[in-house]
Formats: sequence, C-alpha cells, structure tokens
Amino acid sequence: MATERSAQATWQGDLIHGSGEIHEAPSGAFGPLQVSWAARSEEQHGGKTSPEELIAAAHAACFAMALSNGLAKDGHTPERLETSATVTFVPGTGITKSALTVVGVVPGIDEAAFQEAAEQAEVGCPVSGALKGNVELTLDARLQN
Amino acid sequence: MPRIERHANVVWEGNLARGSGLITAGTGAFERLEYSNAVRIGKGDEGKTSPEELLAAAHAACLATSVAGELTRAGSPPERIDVNANIVMDEVEGKGHLIVESQVRVRVRGAGIEEDAFRRVIEIADEGCPFSSLIKASATVSIDAELEG
Repeated sequence: MATERSAQATWQGDLIHGSGEIHEAPSGAFGPLQVSWAARSEEQHGGKTSPEELIAAAHAACFAMALSNGLAKDGHTPERLETSATVTFVPGTGITKSALTVVGVVPGIDEAAFQEAAEQAEVGCPVSGALKGNVELTLDARLQN
Repeated sequence: MPRIERHANVVWEGNLARGSGLITAGTGAFERLEYSNAVRIGKGDEGKTSPEELLAAAHAACLATSVAGELTRAGSPPERIDVNANIVMDEVEGKGHLIVESQVRVRVRGAGIEEDAFRRVIEIADEGCPFSSLIKASATVSIDAELEG
C-alpha cells in the first residue's frame, strides 16, 4: 500500500538576501524550521537546517529501520543501532555523497553476519533506492558487543 | 568550490515491528524526533515524523531555493514562493518498498515575469535542485507551477 507524506516551504525574496521557512510538519513532529542560502552553502550553519541535513536525517532513519528488520529476520534483534548519514553538497554541482555509519549492539551475532546485514540494509532501504546511481553511497558498519 | 557536509544521527532500539528510533540533526535544528514503522506506514497523524516526511521537507525547501535562484537570475526576483511536496512510497513488485513519486506544487507571487519565461524558469529550477535530480533513481518528479500576480 502506498504511503504519502507531504511538507510545505515558503521562500521570500531573492536567493542571496531572501530566506525561507519549512512550515510545521503535517505530523506536528518538527518545525517551523528556518532556511537560508548562506546557512546551506557555507560551513557555518548558524543552527539552521538545510535540504541536505533533512536528506541525511531521512537516510539515517531509513537505514536504521531496514537494518533492524534484516537483523531480526535472521534471529538477531538489535538492542541498539546508532546510525548516521553525512550528505555532501557542492554548490553549483549538487549533492555528491551520502556516507552511512552504524554502530550496533546486537546480541549473538558475529562480525561477518552483521556486516552482511548492514550492506543489505544500505542497498534495500527505500531512501537508498531513490539516491543510488546519482550519488556516491558509502557504509562504515561496526559491531560493538 | 566548497564541499558542505550536513549530518544527522539516529538511535534505534529493537526490531522493526516493535522498535522505535530517535532522529537528531547535526545543526541542532531538530532533536530526538521519535519514529517507528507503525507511524511510517500509518496515516501520519500521530505527531511523529518519518523518513518520507523528512524527504518531503527537503524537496520543498530545495525547490523553493532553486526557484528563488532562477527567478533572480532571470531578472525577476520573487516576493514569495510557496512549495508543497508530497512524497509517495510504494511497494514495487520484485523491488520492495521504493520512493516512487514526488508531487510538487509551486505558487509564485510578485515575480513580474511572463508565463513562457516562468515555465522555463521552473524547468531549470527542477533540473538544478539537487534533490530533484537525486531521487530520480526510483522516483518521478511532477511539478504543478502557477504565477499568482
């Protein structure tokens, strides 16, 4: 069954001097969030989010779920998975990379099986599916039992 | 050309069906957003976010920025741009769950631009928005854009 999620943003003014706002999420979970070109395209973000950070959040969240599912199906329900995604943006070129990491506490699993499950989750999660081919995807998986 | 990195962290505990996770932005713009599979595939009205809602927010913000940039470049800086993005995830036979579509609605006010030139600006903005090109591995992007005065 298809699932739909929407969000709304408003931008006022031109690109350089203007600014935008991501409205409160329809779910109510976050926002409103302020965005600007300077905060997006410079190292100093001033505490503001950006499309790249939101993609990183979506990717890390999607990967964690897919990995929990793969591990549990093999009889190794994880105690804890700490995942992160770092998305690289080159202004003028685009988004070039999403680097996933995971540190897992998974009782009873060996290193090889954990690595395999992480690789499958990296490929299988829907957000990876939307990004692959257009962007470099990397994975660093560590088991911490 | 600078390389800008943005990251987010997630802590997930348990299996898919009964576990849950917390999402935190590297910038601190949002913290410890709870999510779970039940919420992700549910109606979206439980006060909790999901990867697809975050993608919708990313796409709306990305395209708003691109449209602002292209209108400015075309000599018609806008007063206001409203963008709504709707991300659709579906199960595709043999491929599992995929992001299959992003439906975007754009409304622009006060740009002082002709209709034909506006259409071209929207096309260029779609091509230029990093997110639009990114998700085209599995998804189609449709844009419904209108000038409002």
